[in-house]
Amino acid sequence: MAELVLQVSGLRVLRDGVPVVDDVSFALPAESDTALVGPNGAGKSTLVAAVLGLLPRQAGEVRLLGQPLSPQGRWPRSVRAQVAYLPQSLAVEGRFPLTVRDFVGFGFDPPGPRWPWRGAERRRQAIERALERTQCRALGRRLISELSGGQWKRVQLAFCVVRPRRLLVLDEAQAGLDAPSSERFQQLLLDLRRQEGWTVLQVSHDLEMVRRSCDQVLCLNRQLRCSGSPDHALSPQRLAELYGPGYVPYQHHHAPLS
Amino acid sequence: MAAVEALPALLALPFMQRALLGGLLTGALGGLLGSVAVLRQLSFFSDALGHSALLGISLGILLGVNPTLVLVPFAVLFALLVNQLVQRSRLPTDALLNIVYSTSLAFAVVALSLVDTYRGNIQQLLFGDILGISWPDLWVIAGLAVLALGYLIVSLRAQVLLILNDDLAGAFGVRISAHRLAFIVLLAVVVAVSIKAVGVLLISAFVVIPACAARLVSRRFSTYVLTSVLLGGSCAVLGLLGSGLTNLPSGPCVVIVQFAGFLLALLWSRLVVPA
Repeated sequence: MAELVLQVSGLRVLRDGVPVVDDVSFALPAESDTALVGPNGAGKSTLVAAVLGLLPRQAGEVRLLGQPLSPQGRWPRSVRAQVAYLPQSLAVEGRFPLTVRDFVGFGFDPPGPRWPWRGAERRRQAIERALERTQCRALGRRLISELSGGQWKRVQLAFCVVRPRRLLVLDEAQAGLDAPSSERFQQLLLDLRRQEGWTVLQVSHDLEMVRRSCDQVLCLNRQLRCSGSPDHALSPQRLAELYGPGYVPYQHHHAPLS
Repeated sequence: MAAVEALPALLALPFMQRALLGGLLTGALGGLLGSVAVLRQLSFFSDALGHSALLGISLGILLGVNPTLVLVPFAVLFALLVNQLVQRSRLPTDALLNIVYSTSLAFAVVALSLVDTYRGNIQQLLFGDILGISWPDLWVIAGLAVLALGYLIVSLRAQVLLILNDDLAGAFGVRISAHRLAFIVLLAVVVAVSIKAVGVLLISAFVVIPACAARLVSRRFSTYVLTSVLLGGSCAVLGLLGSGLTNLPSGPCVVIVQFAGFLLALLWSRLVVPA
């Protein structure tokens, strides 16, 4: 049986006294790619935030690599270092005086002060390797505010891959990308996941991508409505239950022009 | 020419020496904290804090206590209150700050109108009196500068991640609330201590202008912070010298030099720095 990287049981999270996530349980086997899908307001981002310890939970247990998340939302430092997270958007407005190389370097540094003379060469090599592996080598000296949407997302993956980790959590990381950029990002994510042995949990609205790329799907609408393989969880009947009876999945056809 | 001849005499004056040192430290400190405040979109916070500080000063006068002693606890309390309001209220931060600082200003004017024995000069409160800076004031500012520098060096990674996204920072081990609070309190103390030199109306310029100018010309984060510090300190010294030589008010002279520095940075960014 595969090692379980993340185990969530009976998770309940309230916002303004209202349960946004209620009695949710699931587990992520090592090196799996799991999609969290559901309508807007279903509690997907709240669930992710609670799992990461960013939001208080009212009930339930979260374990990462066997270690429990404390009631105050803290992981042991060694466990915390095994997690990378990419939110939907990062606030880069106007000219932002931070180069890609410096940004990726912050992904390498542990929390707390960094003394420039300690481990500088190891840090430099890790940054270069991360840039190489995410096809960002040529971007190293660019400002993060000068990047296109697709480049910026790849640089964020470099930020995650600069240090070995076990769990990568993505909250609609592909939002705002055009189809080719999204495709390239997903392929890169797939390659890195295989090479790094990452376990991935990604919130997504792109059901076609989920169908193609993910091993497991969690359908959330406050509670876990269904879970399983994409074929099982994304069947028309399940989707109608999740999104409402009027929901018809869009099918893209290439019909010859008459 | 006459100005150049007058310079040695001006530099020999003890109060001018103290003012130059005070300007250098205050300007550098404003540039240091401003570099983070601007990116964290706290520019208006420092402006509101400066304006609201007038209430602290007025309360000090009303109670017969040295206004400078009231100012620091008042500013810290104000910062904590605003931080709570921003987190708990669902109103936009700028609207909330506007409500708080205009109300503080109104109370300050009412409090000052109740005092008929106040001999101070309102002009000094509004635009500062850097020429009246004393050695104890300088020691306090220097200590604060060391504290601020130490904090920012230790928390540089945390500050950058917090600028980009609170949740990103939290997921990578940054204690979001602690750092947010620490920075706001530090900014409040710096604003309160600098007000004597700079005045309530001009304090935000010390925080915002050098950082914005540095942002236009810097590519690396460390260079950006350093440029902001150097611009803040050097503009203050140049402004004070200009003020001393032309007999114009010192605080406004410093801000005019800062603005000139900003224009130069803008020009530099258009002509030299790659887009």
